[in-house]
Amino acid sequence: MWIDGAWLIPVFPLIAFLIISLVPKKWLIYEGGGPYIIGLSTASFIISILVIIDVLNGHTLTGSASPSISWIVAGNVEIRFGIWVDQLTAVMLLVVSLVGTLVVIYSVGYMHAEGERKRRYYAEIALFISVMFGLVLASNYILLFIFWELVGLCSYLLIGFWKEKPSAASAAKRAFIVTRVGDIMLMSSLIILLQSVGSLDFVALFRNDSLATMSPEMATLAMVLLFGGAIGKSAQFPLHEWLPDAMEGPTTVSALIHAATMVKAGVYLVARSFPMLVQAPDSLAVIAVIGGITALIAASNALVMNDIKRVLAYSTISQLGYMMLALGAGGLIIVAFLHEGAHEGIGAGYSSGMFHLMNHAFFKALLFLAAGSVIHGIGTQDLRQMGGLGKVMKVTSITMLLGSLSIAGIPPFSGFWSKDEVLATTFHAYENAAAYNDVFLLLWIMGVATAFMTAFYMFRMWFMAFSGTQRSEGHVHESPRVMTWPLIILASLAVGSGFAMFIGSGFFSFMSESIASIGSNVVVEAVDPVEQLVEIFSSPLTYASLIVSVIGLLTAYMIYYKGKWSVANLSKGIAGRMQRLLANRYYISWFYDAFAYNIVYGMSLVADIFDRYVIDGAINGIAWLSRKTGEILRRGQTGYVQTYVAVILLGACLLILFLVLFGGGR
Amino acid sequence: MIPMIDWLIFAVLLLMVGAYGVLTAKNGIIVLMSIEIMLNSANISLVAFSAYSSELHGYNDLMGQVIALASITVAAAEVAVGLAILLVLYKRYGTIDVDKMNILRW
Repeated sequence: MWIDGAWLIPVFPLIAFLIISLVPKKWLIYEGGGPYIIGLSTASFIISILVIIDVLNGHTLTGSASPSISWIVAGNVEIRFGIWVDQLTAVMLLVVSLVGTLVVIYSVGYMHAEGERKRRYYAEIALFISVMFGLVLASNYILLFIFWELVGLCSYLLIGFWKEKPSAASAAKRAFIVTRVGDIMLMSSLIILLQSVGSLDFVALFRNDSLATMSPEMATLAMVLLFGGAIGKSAQFPLHEWLPDAMEGPTTVSALIHAATMVKAGVYLVARSFPMLVQAPDSLAVIAVIGGITALIAASNALVMNDIKRVLAYSTISQLGYMMLALGAGGLIIVAFLHEGAHEGIGAGYSSGMFHLMNHAFFKALLFLAAGSVIHGIGTQDLRQMGGLGKVMKVTSITMLLGSLSIAGIPPFSGFWSKDEVLATTFHAYENAAAYNDVFLLLWIMGVATAFMTAFYMFRMWFMAFSGTQRSEGHVHESPRVMTWPLIILASLAVGSGFAMFIGSGFFSFMSESIASIGSNVVVEAVDPVEQLVEIFSSPLTYASLIVSVIGLLTAYMIYYKGKWSVANLSKGIAGRMQRLLANRYYISWFYDAFAYNIVYGMSLVADIFDRYVIDGAINGIAWLSRKTGEILRRGQTGYVQTYVAVILLGACLLILFLVLFGGGR
Repeated sequence: MIPMIDWLIFAVLLLMVGAYGVLTAKNGIIVLMSIEIMLNSANISLVAFSAYSSELHGYNDLMGQVIALASITVAAAEVAVGLAILLVLYKRYGTIDVDKMNILRW
């Protein structure tokens, strides 16, 4: 059974990391060690596929079947070291191994000119992929948290890869510190869970009554804090500002962070914790609301960005918001129907969130790598200096068009199927989640508005980059084949991965198996593909999201291709004020900076004074006291041998006197 | 026979003489000699205890004499070392006056 060898998957990239970072330079014959990580991550990919086949055949390593060894024992708390493989893990393994491998292959071309530093790059990428595998395979929250932090560390290292650039160094620090805010929330949640449940193993926590020992308020608090970790990691509002800044790293790193590792870890955490989240329904509402707000805010920011990578970064945040929205809404639907007997496919919300995650991984990796190809070819990231690249960079422009169609939600590309399901789930929650009806109607409208903006900004980007004529000097060339082939593979996945819904018993039925422990009626029944298609295309909801997407696409076409409406006109009056608000990212960064400079800096000053005068004062006082005492006592050391002898004799006499007086005789 | 207590008084007086020499002498050799006197006072008391052992607890205990002999041997070795040190001091400072040897002070 290959599934028993699932622990090998993170080990291979780890070996690549050790080889590249430890073996002397002269033995790494080619491209700073790139081939090692390509070979070993391909090995991980092959084992992942074999494991996924086992999972498809119904074998999982969950519950008591999950292999683990005792790791840390302290009192009555035992922390185990083990792996947990179910349908959710399988999807994550596929995403991480496939995208990771394609990114490192692409890196050989993209990072070609980096010289000596390639070795550091490949070592860090290898570690990044390895710890992400570890994160999705971990069988308890402690292990997951360790890998979670390591993922944060690797993204810090890679965002700051060009460390001599001050902007890159500060972006890396920002990513590290902002995600740390979320990590502290996650850690407090784990402490609450450990305190009241007594274990952090998935086995113990995923029982249906695992949170029953806590008061409902405490359970909700723990789950909201758990989601707090995901807010930081997955760049959700209000901690989303680090992700656009993270564009200072190499584009390959952005592709990896956005598509496979790092930000997907937060969505994975929420999906993984589903059996606990449904026990605290209010936390699911929080997740859905934060997701919906994030989707809308980030999409509106993407409308005005002029940096090709920032457009994509905001689109990632927006799509992650969709995933959170789907998970929150799906969870509330489960809560509503869990005890009402059979109800068709109540696990569909959860599955649609993960479906969007998978499709997003493919089309976002494609879009980032294509953007990297553009940057490689023209040497700038500014959309205003591009234009007309479609004639020269044929492969890049076509693959990017496919990716844009996919993310914009145009059928039959993959983004359409999953985005449609996400919005359908939200609407379903409006109809069924008793206490939150109105909220979900609003969230659905926000989701549809986001779909419009997504189509608009993606095609604004595409038309600005590839159509018309070039707006800057300089020779443009198509990227080498080592970079275009990963694009072609990812483009075919971006087109095709949506059909996973219709293959076999369908993605939804497969995915919902992983939360079957919540209740048997969450498992989605296998549906006939034709019936499913009819169902999708007979729903008015589908047409609502489809029509707004097409309108968005056409608006971008009219403005940026035909030039019907002048961009300059849009920069005046209220529209111009809106534009400035968006371009300044709602002043959220500004607010954080003001907060940091005034309040945190003030608190630091107080702490500094306390440290300087109270803590240091105590330490220095003790030192001063010993020095003064020493200065007095040193006078006794005359250096004359006879003084010492005299003191010895005096001592002896006193001793004898003492014995005679108090010795008590014989 | 001279009583035991007289021997002990003699030994104490000898010790005092030695100690006085150690504390007051300026010359290093005289200090060494005074130390030898102090050692000999100890030897005398040891031999005296040995000689009076049969009176004190019924049998002849030779341990005191054995220790006195060992002490004399050690004293000989100690004098050799002490004189060597004084020789080196003289070579280095041109004097063996112990009042001048005060570099081990504050």
